[in-house]
Amino acid sequence: MTEQEQKSPKKEARIVAFLCNWCSYAGSDAAGTARLRQPENLRIIRVPCSGRINPLFVLKAFSEGADGVLVSGCHPNDCHYTDGNFYARRRLEALKEYLPFIGIDKNRFSYQWVSASEGQRWQKVVTNFVKRINSIL
Amino acid sequence: MAKKLTETIIAKAEELFDQVEVMAGYSKGSNPLKVSPCFIEKKQDLDQLIFDKLCINNLATYAYRLSKQVKGNIGMVLKPCDAKAVNQLISEELIDRAACKMLVVGCAGVLDHQKISRHLGGARVFSANIGPETIEVETAEGKKELKTADFYADKCHWCSISDQDMGGDVFVENQQKLQAPKKDRFEDVKQLEKLDLDQIEAYWKDEFSRCIRCYACRNVCPLEVCQDQCIVHLDFPNWQSQKVVPSENKFFQLIRVMHLAGRCVECGECQRVCPQNIGLLKMMKKMNQQIETLFNFTPGMDVEAKPPLLTYKTVEENIEEEELI
Repeated sequence: MTEQEQKSPKKEARIVAFLCNWCSYAGSDAAGTARLRQPENLRIIRVPCSGRINPLFVLKAFSEGADGVLVSGCHPNDCHYTDGNFYARRRLEALKEYLPFIGIDKNRFSYQWVSASEGQRWQKVVTNFVKRINSIL
Repeated sequence: MAKKLTETIIAKAEELFDQVEVMAGYSKGSNPLKVSPCFIEKKQDLDQLIFDKLCINNLATYAYRLSKQVKGNIGMVLKPCDAKAVNQLISEELIDRAACKMLVVGCAGVLDHQKISRHLGGARVFSANIGPETIEVETAEGKKELKTADFYADKCHWCSISDQDMGGDVFVENQQKLQAPKKDRFEDVKQLEKLDLDQIEAYWKDEFSRCIRCYACRNVCPLEVCQDQCIVHLDFPNWQSQKVVPSENKFFQLIRVMHLAGRCVECGECQRVCPQNIGLLKMMKKMNQQIETLFNFTPGMDVEAKPPLLTYKTVEENIEEEELI
């Protein structure tokens, strides 16, 4: 990155999003089909289940320079694999509280539940998350 | 006193020896301030065993490896805090309870020989006589008398394990009681947390700029059983580059933190063996602190307990999910 780029105020936030195949990925797709306006800062990675997400994925993303990481899966009790998101919740909560200790603002990370039909909710989640990241940057 | 304790341990080990193939214990080390681990396969060699305040090593490190190498049972001389690591391995079904004979020795605190040699300025030590109050050392620069209380290992300052908790197969009582002055377990964690995020980042960058990635911290850990199958050695997916730079070194340590979340028994071995004196134990303690507040779980205390990240509740009392809407 050149010095000029660093100084430029309009730095675009780069956000890595991990979405579960069955709910959130379909939910974001629904938001797209319904032509809901949403920020373009996300780089979406589709995973089979939020339980597939290793906390190290998140840490690796941060260490490679992501400005924010968003994880989204099915609502509790709605997991396609019955209990993947329950495990994910425990891991990601432990991770989230740990981030400040290694010098990462915990507002740069969030995990959310969005189902396949909740295009509107997805739009709000993304908009608010990007807003929050931009306020930190 | 120490002699009598050693004799009792040898006698108990002899009783236990018929059931085991190999016995891991402490023996005399390369200098008077060190002990070294020994593995005894013949009964007549049991008199090599010693036990004193210098036995800081955690022999549970060998528990998993020995149990894979040896066909029969393994025996181990353990302090109560080491027994915690073995308990954790048992609760994760990594070793078989029946195949592991634990000889738990009541502990009166152990001394950190690195603290002593640092205090002596690295002078060569010819002999050391360690008492409950004072340590008499004979060095190249003459005789010196040190206060024992100043040189306890860090973990002894917040030790709260009662000896009987750790039962084991055989328990050897120690007449001496723990004399290390009490300190707050999370003192260094709290101190670091007082700083703001940039300062914390700078602190870790500085710490990990010293790291040489020797992997000693991983190799000595009793609970990191993957060892050479560690994900840092994988080419695909390439978790970790070969570059020895602070960010990569930090990421390696984060791999350890995540793999030990809810498992680390805080034996402090990683920090002890670190050739660069990096404050690794803080990272582990912070994660443990969180696991305690979130899931009310302390690793290594209960063999029956399920590790917190391998289970779940449909309603989590201590987790407050954030709403982004």
